[in-house]
Amino acid sequence: MIEKSHIDHLVSLLGPECATTDQDRIAPLLREWRDKYFGHTQLLLTPNSAEQLSDALRYCNAHGVAVVPQGGNTGLVGAGLPGLANRDEVLISTQRMNKVLDVCPNDYSITVEAGVTIKEIQQSAETADRLFPLSLASEGSCTAGGTIATNAGGVHVIRYGSMQALTMGVEAVLADGTIYSDLSPLRKDNTGYKLSSLFAGSEGTLGIITKATLKLYPPERHRITTWIAIDDINSALNILEKLRDVTADRVSVFEIMPHSGLELVLRHIPSTLPPFPGKEFPWYILAEIGSSIHDPVLEETVEDCLSNMISNNQIADGIIAQSEQQRLELWKLRESLSEAQKHEGGSIKHDISVPVSQVPEFVKTVAPEIEQRWTGSRVIPFGHLGDGNLHFNVMQPSTMDKQAFLANWEEMNRFVHDRVTDFSGSISAEHGIGSMKAQELKRLKPASSLHAMQMIKKALDPNNILNPGALFTRD
Amino acid sequence: MKVMVPVKRVVDYNVKVRVKSDNTGVELANVKMSMNPFDEIAVEEAIRLKEAGKVEEIVVVSIGPKAATETIRTGLAMGADRGILVEHDDEIHPLAVAKILKGIVGEENPDIVLLGKQAIDDDCNQTGQMLAQLLGWAQGTFASKVEAEDGSLNVTREVDGGLETVKLNLPAIVTTDLRLNEPRYASLPNIMKAKRKPIDEKTAADYGVDATPRLKTLKVEEPAAREAGIKVESVDELVGKLKEKGLI
Repeated sequence: MIEKSHIDHLVSLLGPECATTDQDRIAPLLREWRDKYFGHTQLLLTPNSAEQLSDALRYCNAHGVAVVPQGGNTGLVGAGLPGLANRDEVLISTQRMNKVLDVCPNDYSITVEAGVTIKEIQQSAETADRLFPLSLASEGSCTAGGTIATNAGGVHVIRYGSMQALTMGVEAVLADGTIYSDLSPLRKDNTGYKLSSLFAGSEGTLGIITKATLKLYPPERHRITTWIAIDDINSALNILEKLRDVTADRVSVFEIMPHSGLELVLRHIPSTLPPFPGKEFPWYILAEIGSSIHDPVLEETVEDCLSNMISNNQIADGIIAQSEQQRLELWKLRESLSEAQKHEGGSIKHDISVPVSQVPEFVKTVAPEIEQRWTGSRVIPFGHLGDGNLHFNVMQPSTMDKQAFLANWEEMNRFVHDRVTDFSGSISAEHGIGSMKAQELKRLKPASSLHAMQMIKKALDPNNILNPGALFTRD
Repeated sequence: MKVMVPVKRVVDYNVKVRVKSDNTGVELANVKMSMNPFDEIAVEEAIRLKEAGKVEEIVVVSIGPKAATETIRTGLAMGADRGILVEHDDEIHPLAVAKILKGIVGEENPDIVLLGKQAIDDDCNQTGQMLAQLLGWAQGTFASKVEAEDGSLNVTREVDGGLETVKLNLPAIVTTDLRLNEPRYASLPNIMKAKRKPIDEKTAADYGVDATPRLKTLKVEEPAAREAGIKVESVDELVGKLKEKGLI
């Protein structure tokens, strides 16, 4: 239990608008959408400025009150929920800090408060004829602060990088209440440590982000969207290489999914149509080439490139969307896969990355190993092949009880993470560590890296009040 | 049988249309253009008739700028056989379009002209009907089902009261509605084949048509922005507000 005196003080500090103990108001922020975690807390703070948050954290730091920051509550590793493992933690939501502060077309930058959603950032950029390229399934809810703290990725990483690469500066409140502020849109600034980068992947353990300056790009007004069928996953690397080459590196999206994944989508998601009626292929690629100008020559180049690869049997078949409507239909096939899996039954999830060159070998080696070890399970690896990030999800055997299968979660995680490590990969490509993978991080991250992370943590948060359950294990 | 499918190049359905700052029209520079969705349905229907063995040849026609060639190529990639581009850079209205199409019909002698019920840019919904009048042909508009028999077509029409089925003696005009079919994707092999299919290039003058618009656009404006809503505290207040506005 958090002491009543602390709760009373924090409520009086922020006022009843921005601090509440009303469980009805708190409850929606304690549920994770996959229902894997349920948080609890006595107190929710929703500060409307860095100054207000600073006052609160100064008090919490002085009195050893732990806090958990939360953005859009779309996280997948339990990093944004208070009270897991029976800890006593105050929940701090950035929902009230929700203003777009400045869009500067000539600086190709946008400055926002931490609680602004990625969708709103994309729309503000679009109004200024610019592109904010981060794009992920939860973009309607996830926030600037949360995506920086998670270093989120999504479908455009191959061309524009992940959130860390898109963050030019942040304002954040540190554990002792200091407001660290660097919101400069400078592209070059070599005046010491690039501290803003430190907050990427920090998961709320080093400070609470209150504002950010993010990178913008020229808009992709014209997109060539293609759905490609291949017989052998090895071809994917050749296709990616050729497409990057002939389009002057304008490949913005390069996603892969197996036929088993497409089947799930067609079975469970309404108004989806098979891209190749009556035909089946082992793998499909969704690739997109983006350009700020309408360029018929580029279109022809892509068509020629792909059809040559049909001639030499690298590609089995393909489609090019002829309208935005068709483009959206093809995207729906890819984007509905997570939801379709949910309808099909239980699946054990892995958000992993390996070097792009190793993706085919990894899939060909590890998928059969799993299906052999967990008889009847079906590996459905899909995701962002262009940046080496696969959602290496394993569906339950159709006849098995869901909970009985999910009981294998940790054992299977360990198996997959070991194999990922063998392939020099990462056990968390874009979802983060949170409390879910803290043990695995400790087990597999090189000791020197963990040591450096702990030194930084101790320096910035000596009393360990900031999200104590995330990243690190207790012992 | 031979089918002619007129197709129009329009601003893509999913693009947010912006009015030009001088209010003379909508912004077209660097905007994504696609085939009018109703025309796409017409192309698909023609291909289905061909696949069913009812039709031997499909000719896709577009009247518009040089770039409309791309729209014709889309039709060819879906499965049409050849194209005709009537190059015309300026604004053009349904009557002039119908007259040019009549000229093409005179040369091509199709049994069916299958086209979208309207284009999503000007929403005129006139060309098919005007063409039927100019040619003196039967017409089945707003088709949600087309069945070919010997010498005739059964067309199910979407009308206000429900569905109406008409039998048309050929030659005939059919205009398509949204529920007629689901257009197919253009496959890569077919896109490559389409590059080798012939496209004839013509002008309005070749058909003796004066395409000068008879209507002048005075002004194009954004629709009035929707007013923000208000929140009421109680049913009584809601009723009060509705009465105040004379709505109940």
